[in-house]
Amino acid sequence: MYAKFYKHRWQYLMILPSVVLLFLFSYMPMAGILVAFRDFQIGTSIWSAPWVGLDNFAFLHEPQFWTVVRNTLYISVLKFIFGFPAPILLALLINEVTHSTFKRFVQSVSYLPHFFSWIVVAYMLQSFLTLDGGLVNQLIGKAGGDPVFFLGSTEWFRPIVVGSGLWKETGWNTILYLAAITTIDPQLYEAAKVEGAGKMAQIRHITIPGILPTISIVLILSIPSLINVGMDQIYPLMNSANMEVADVLDTYVLRSGLQQGYFGMSTAVGLLSSVIGLVLVLGTNQLSRKINGEGLW
Amino acid sequence: MKKNSAEKVAYGFIVALLALLCLSVVYPFLYMLAISLNDGADAARGGVYIWPRSFTTINYEIVLGNEVIRHSYLITIGRTVLGTVLGLFVTLLAAYGLSYRKLPLRSTILAYVLITMLFNGGLVPLYIQLNNLHLLDTFWVFIFPSLFSAWNMFVMLKFIQGIPEALIESAELDGAGPLRTLLQIVMPLSKPMLAALGLFTAVGHWNDWFSGAFYVTSQSLIPVQTFLQQLLSASDLSTVLGSNSNQEALARSAEMQNITLMSIKMAVVMVSALPILCVYPFLQKYFVKGVLIGSVKG
Repeated sequence: MYAKFYKHRWQYLMILPSVVLLFLFSYMPMAGILVAFRDFQIGTSIWSAPWVGLDNFAFLHEPQFWTVVRNTLYISVLKFIFGFPAPILLALLINEVTHSTFKRFVQSVSYLPHFFSWIVVAYMLQSFLTLDGGLVNQLIGKAGGDPVFFLGSTEWFRPIVVGSGLWKETGWNTILYLAAITTIDPQLYEAAKVEGAGKMAQIRHITIPGILPTISIVLILSIPSLINVGMDQIYPLMNSANMEVADVLDTYVLRSGLQQGYFGMSTAVGLLSSVIGLVLVLGTNQLSRKINGEGLW
Repeated sequence: MKKNSAEKVAYGFIVALLALLCLSVVYPFLYMLAISLNDGADAARGGVYIWPRSFTTINYEIVLGNEVIRHSYLITIGRTVLGTVLGLFVTLLAAYGLSYRKLPLRSTILAYVLITMLFNGGLVPLYIQLNNLHLLDTFWVFIFPSLFSAWNMFVMLKFIQGIPEALIESAELDGAGPLRTLLQIVMPLSKPMLAALGLFTAVGHWNDWFSGAFYVTSQSLIPVQTFLQQLLSASDLSTVLGSNSNQEALARSAEMQNITLMSIKMAVVMVSALPILCVYPFLQKYFVKGVLIGSVKG
């Protein structure tokens, strides 16, 4: 037994740093969830703080919490409804381009925004939409309209989030679909042409069925992220004027925990969303097993 | 290929649509570039769309002359290089060690890794742990917590298992230890995968503003993106430039009158985005491959 382990001592030595890192930065914080049930202050130990039972879950009675839950679902569902079909559509369009230089150009340009941070995108939005000198408001002014305070309005927040999300990630998300399209047998198209099928018929009967497995995998994989709307995108766009619709679970945890110091309460909120996330992942895996005959792991 | 006229119209429509799409990506950068190269007070009057009307480099002189910005660049470059190289190496070591199918406890260790992908303690417990480890407000908080990536590890593991086993076995028969096999056989064969994952890791470090905003408090540790994030909602120039860190530029007060917060902001954001725009064309072939490698499973 010992000899078997000794024989692989180098392998264990290689794995060791990662095991330690995971212990420190993943498993210890999991133990830190105890804070959700204790009266913890920074500077004390999570092991010695007094137990408070479910007191930290009092936020469940607060209307503000439910507003946050509603905002989170609202944004994630909207992002899904627009964000899921968009790359499929774009991939179908790009696939129709026969001019290969132009095709490559479109692909390179559409992947580009993925590589910029949401902060840079927020600046872009600001330069176009801000009240003092933003391009859009300048144009509205020229057309004789009244300037619109896009970045500080509750009506415009969701369209801005969904629109900028589409702008940033649609091109990037086409990569998988474009790759799937290239694996379709060209002979199928030839045969269809002989039978007199037009372009639309070819797309409907060959291309779309050909990428259907990819579509279903992407669909399945996107379910767990429904609870995760992307703090990276929301936080830079959030301000006191649009807070009412912009506050989501992630920003709520951030504000109440790191900024206001309600560690117990915000850990409890975090725990709740982690558990929902876990349930979604496990459920998705079951679903995938049923549909694809194979789970994600 | 023969096309009837209806198809020609449809094709033209598609090309136009895609061209418009490209424009929507390229134009914002052109616009921000034009504003940043234009006299601020003049730009505020409106009418600058693509080309600067009253050309000046003063915005960039101020931005590049600002010590806070220069320092934040150093922090960003430092964490990007160190975080990417160390992160790839630590993760590769684990993936290579776990690629031995006969390793005792292998599936236990794999489960240990997998669990962390499914469930986490959340933001506050992580913050408390970083505090307990005395990592808060140090440079290392940018490096250590993200050193091991479970996702990258599984991609690497999959990739290494695709290397013919005979190759590795023969190296070991020739007396190479596991470390030597890794460095001389596995790593050279993994170059495309390492390039792709390295690129994604590096972009992640370059674009991360969160840890700079919440895990450090010293101004001297702030990365570029965090600086940008703080500047985003700034309402006057002194927030950007600091009180007197910019003596030289301030001395040219006549010119300063024509500088607006917006023109400075655009210059800062261009400066932070430029490195990505510059390396992008060279890295393109790697990232498509990277996405496809990463999506083999799932």
